[in-house]
Formats: sequence, C-alpha cells, structure tokens
Amino acid sequence: MGERVPQSVQNLVIRDYCSRNNISYLLSATEYAMKNSSKVLFKIINEKNKERVILYSLFQLPSNSNLRDKFYKIVIKNKKKIYFALENKSLNNKDDIEIIRDIWNIKDVLPNCLKKF
Amino acid sequence: MNNLFVTKSENNLYKKYLKDGYIIADIKNIKSLDWIKQFYLSFIKDYFKKDFSTKDLLNNFHKLIKIKDLNSFRLKLIQEINKDKNFRKNYFNVASIFLYEIVGNELAMQNRVNLSIQLPGDKSSLLDVHADTWSGDSPFESVVWLPLVDCFKTKSMFILPALKYKKFIKLLQSSKFRNSADLFPKIKNDVKWLKINYGQILIFNQCLPHGNLVNKEKETRWSMNCRFKSIFTPYGDKKLGEFFEPISLKAASKFAMNYKLPKIK
Repeated sequence: MGERVPQSVQNLVIRDYCSRNNISYLLSATEYAMKNSSKVLFKIINEKNKERVILYSLFQLPSNSNLRDKFYKIVIKNKKKIYFALENKSLNNKDDIEIIRDIWNIKDVLPNCLKKF
Repeated sequence: MNNLFVTKSENNLYKKYLKDGYIIADIKNIKSLDWIKQFYLSFIKDYFKKDFSTKDLLNNFHKLIKIKDLNSFRLKLIQEINKDKNFRKNYFNVASIFLYEIVGNELAMQNRVNLSIQLPGDKSSLLDVHADTWSGDSPFESVVWLPLVDCFKTKSMFILPALKYKKFIKLLQSSKFRNSADLFPKIKNDVKWLKINYGQILIFNQCLPHGNLVNKEKETRWSMNCRFKSIFTPYGDKKLGEFFEPISLKAASKFAMNYKLPKIK
C-alpha cells in the first residue's frame, strides 16, 4: 500500500468489520515481513477448514498482478470467501474479481496521472 | 466562453457551477428518488413498529423522536442504507445526468452515503463553516446533496458563492479567529442559503466554505450527501478503495490499463 498501518489498528478495523457483519472472529495471522511476501496468505487460502478470510485491506493482496490472478483462481477453486475490511468489499465470484481488478489497475495507473493539487 | 462541443444545457451548468459554486436542478429520474424516499419511510415504520401516515412524516419527525435519541437512530439508519447495494445505485441514478456534465463520465463514488437529520432547535448536528478540502478531500470532488424534504433558510445549508471566494481568502489572511465558530459571523453577509425542494438535487463545489446553523424553522431537515470525482484525478486523504469506488469505468480505459507494447526482436 505504500504505507504501514500498525497491526493493532488493523486488528481493530477487522474486529469492527466482524462485529458489523455478524462474523465470528476466530484466529488472526500475520504475513511475513519480507518484501513482497504472500506466503502466509497463500497458505491460508489453501487450507480446507478456513472458509472465510478477512484481510485488513485489498491492497494487501500481492502487488504482482500475475500473483493476484493466481490468488483469485485459488479463491474460486477452493470456494473461499475473502473480505476486505477497510474497503468493505468481499470476493467470492468472478464479478467481485472484476471490481477488485479495476481498483488495483486504477491504483497502478494513478502515479502516471495528474498527482498534485 | 461557449464551448462548441457541448450542448447548451451543459454549457449553462458549466457556467453556473463555476460562477456560483453549485447547481440546483430538477431530478429527471423520479423512480429512483421515490425508491430512496420509500426506503426511509419503511425504515421509520419498522423502527418505531408503527404504521404512520406517510404524509409529512419526515417534516414532522421531531414530534416522534427526542434529540437525545436522534444519534442512535441516525447511526442505525446510516448502517442500513449503506448495507443495501441498491441504495447507492439509486442515489447515483438520481444524479448521473448532472454528474456526467459537471464532473465527468468515468466516475468514482464515495463508498458510503451520509445522512443528516436536523430537528428544529437541535444544536448537536451542526457543521461550522468548513470546506471539505480543509479536512483532506481532493478539490476534484463534488458533493451531491439530496433533500427528502423542502429545504429553505436555516432548514437548509449555506455556501459561499465562488464569486466571493477571493474576498474570503483575503479575510483569512488578514484577520484572526480563535476557532471555526468565529468564521461564520465574518462571512454571514456573503453566504447564500440554498432553497432546494424535494425533487431537486444540489451539486456543489466542496472547496467553497459551507455549513449549517441551528434549524430555526418548524420542520425537520432530511438530506443526504455523497462525493463523486473523476476516476483518474488526484485523490486527497480519501483514497480509492477505502473511500471511493470506481463506478463507471469505460471499456477503453479498462483495456488500456492492461496494455503493454509488444516486444520486438
């Protein structure tokens, strides 16, 4: 995302999202701190007993678009439901993927657009 | 300046928005407006578990609720309107033809629609003079303000017309003020109180100072607001994703964002 939000604040946002959407908060997981790591994320979406996964933000998905496509593919194949707490969005079908793709693509293009005001 | 490439009506809106800082227009999509109003009326009936007559229910809402109970009611209602996906769709439908003319046709819409309920005499729902840009909004945003009742005088909102903005900037630079409440007395003769009826829509430039005062009329004000901007314009603190969602990305942009020049030997 280009900035870091403290984990305690990320957890608060996720807990609030769960409470507003009647979702039970069970376990939390933390991605490895190494640059561009998505190892923990990919482990979770491949686990059979975890149907619903909540991320703090959709901009925590891999910054590499090929890796994101792989992520979407696994989510659909494994019938997972992914939530993005900050953006109040969810992902579990192809329409959702298109919306997430658009947002990511725009975010990637914005540095090439007018920046200042 | 008249632009030959746009319609006469678009030219008129363009000039009015730049000169006054806002436009007020008659809504064409009455079906969507009715859908929104009906949503509120149904919520009120469910909340109070009573089958009220809908005639003037919103205007007389202060007879139903105490000021101390208003905020919890309002928060519950805001949660409901933002849970229903059709709500934002209908909100956009009401405003779209004007937004296309004033803001653009590839639009990002605020994720949440805000609601303001101002009971007569209520001092708890006031917004001192402010511009949204002063708290992190991008100047590329416009606000769509939609009333569910006729709004006038202190039951409405005020805005400093664009023509008076330079004078206001000079005032900010030359005179001291202790807090935001001190600002209004200095500009009260220059601001315009907007008269806007149910069935009309207001789109305003949120860079211009605006706000409200205690509603001294005998009726309750119900209004909503939601921000729109062109997708590919600069964002302020209110970012794409967490605050704005692209709602009308066009095919050419969608294609181009993924385009890469072919590699050649």
